[in-house]
Amino acid sequence: MFGAFRATNSLSGGLLWKIPWRLSPTQKYRQRQRLKAVDNVVETLSTALAKKGETLKSLERWKYEMPTEAEMLAKDKYTIFDRKEKKYRKGIHKLPKWTRVSQRLNPPGY
Amino acid sequence: MSYFRITLHRSAIGLPARTRGVLAALGLHKRSQTVYHPVEAQFAGMIMKVKELVKVEEVERKLDKWEVKAERRPDSGFYLEKMAPRMEDEGQKVGSRVLARLRGEDESQVVEGVRREGGGEVRV
Repeated sequence: MFGAFRATNSLSGGLLWKIPWRLSPTQKYRQRQRLKAVDNVVETLSTALAKKGETLKSLERWKYEMPTEAEMLAKDKYTIFDRKEKKYRKGIHKLPKWTRVSQRLNPPGY
Repeated sequence: MSYFRITLHRSAIGLPARTRGVLAALGLHKRSQTVYHPVEAQFAGMIMKVKELVKVEEVERKLDKWEVKAERRPDSGFYLEKMAPRMEDEGQKVGSRVLARLRGEDESQVVEGVRREGGGEVRV
């Protein structure tokens, strides 16, 4: 039961990564900072282009579709829709590369 | 003419080849690298593709390496109310006097621990 040769999941099964069920408060804080950073980049681009009187389709579309960090619900900041989960939601940290991809929208009603 | 000052903040390791390609096209190859591109729709579009990875500012001109370095230098933590007189001038005078003596312009051979013998110097 104890010692170097105890049968734990990781020892008997090889690779086992455990992802905690919920985000820690610090992870949530950093997630908000990342969302704000992306908002800042979009804001910088749009003001810079607006000064020249230019516009960009992808930029306009982003601004039209995507809520900013302040507009987002906590539910959408920290969780994502998953049809296989109980209550259809799981932590956003289960999303591969979650700190480097934008995932802001979820199906309406879920 | 204004520029986008783009700094790669997050690495693109493990991201799709398209994303890495955009970074390469912007000229960003390693983290904390900064590049400048003119404010144009085509560059804005490229930045939009990698907006999660970069920090962007709009600047009036391209800063050179030394200006960036000066920006990053932290505050020294002190300031001088009045400049103290520099010792350099005094030191140079003394130094030149010593040199003049050693060249043989003055025959007093022992100068501050340096004695002249033949063609060379001997420190005593």
